[in-house]
Amino acid sequence: MNSHPESRPYEPGYYKYKLHVPSRPPTWWLRNFKYFLFMMREISSAIIGLFLLLFLYEIFLLSRGPEAHGGFQESLRSPGFVLFYVIAFIFALYHSITWFGAVGRIQVVRVGGWKVPPALVTASAFVGWIVVSAIIGFYFLGGDHV
Amino acid sequence: MSEKTITLKVFRYSPEQGGEPTEQEYEVPFRDDWVVLDALNYIKDQIDGTLSYRWSCRMGVCGSCGMMVNGEPKLTCATFLRDYFSDEIRVAPLSNFSVVRDLVVELDDFLGKIQAVKPWIIRKEERPVEEGEYLQTPDQLAEFKQFSMCINCALCYSACPVYGPESDFLGPAALALAHRYNLDSRDEGREEREDVIASEEGIWNCTFVGECSAVCPKEVDPAVAIQRSKVDVTSNWFKSFIMPWKNR
Repeated sequence: MNSHPESRPYEPGYYKYKLHVPSRPPTWWLRNFKYFLFMMREISSAIIGLFLLLFLYEIFLLSRGPEAHGGFQESLRSPGFVLFYVIAFIFALYHSITWFGAVGRIQVVRVGGWKVPPALVTASAFVGWIVVSAIIGFYFLGGDHV
Repeated sequence: MSEKTITLKVFRYSPEQGGEPTEQEYEVPFRDDWVVLDALNYIKDQIDGTLSYRWSCRMGVCGSCGMMVNGEPKLTCATFLRDYFSDEIRVAPLSNFSVVRDLVVELDDFLGKIQAVKPWIIRKEERPVEEGEYLQTPDQLAEFKQFSMCINCALCYSACPVYGPESDFLGPAALALAHRYNLDSRDEGREEREDVIASEEGIWNCTFVGECSAVCPKEVDPAVAIQRSKVDVTSNWFKSFIMPWKNR
């Protein structure tokens, strides 16, 4: 049962006549809205990566003293940086929503013999995300006032 | 009253002549119960016998008649003219494949990939026939049944934006089929398949666009099969890392 007849290996030039190999225009991802969303999701990784590099740079400046760090923080208030952070936030939100939305479809969760419905898995992931975000937000933004 | 008609713009490519493909316009009778394949058969029988395309069962089982209909991968035997009437319909060969002639695409690469994942039951040791069948419970069947409905129509490869530019990618159908056999309680070939599916050309190339599942006429959901394979492969790797003395 383990043996299986080998398929004829594909060899270019097998065909007597020339095959037509279609070309792919650089704008292929604009012809279908789902491909467009896919590209946005791919781009979101680059934007979030850039955001993290800035964040690491800011941490590095902390080690150089309050003056260096303060100067950089001031420059972050410029319209260019504010715009970048807004875009990064939107992309991070989009990436996270699509990621958590996929969890229920991908991860099969069983409780005893019961297979948890995908919608419930997704809902639990979203609730967990919101709760953890709220805790972190409260700690960093509101914790001092308590 | 004159008969209603519908226009089909059909991709034509002649390998003998080479050159760039052309588009040919045909006007066919419109019938409410006709599918695109009926219209192509009408063209072949009544208008232009030189038109080439694949088809066989005409009932969504053989997977032969996949084509691009107005830019979307479809089984033409399950795509009704009435859903497009009175607009014209553009019929082209499945995208992401080379064209042999007209609407016929070259499928050797696709079929080779299906075979590469060993889509059959692998046993470490065969049981003697006298001991009977390998029994399976309905729950065990339900684990993989959805992923076993693939008819190899290749619509998923046509919709996959990764397979287009990276033709080394094993692709949705092959990887879904590997997952189907890995989930089968009678199978013991997971490790053999893992070498292929976890390779550079395998599951990690998939970026979960999900279009393969959207176009699948059998609701196989290859996108989910691939993501679940990623989870399985990762968890197997962790197990082998934490407990190297244990077999996976």
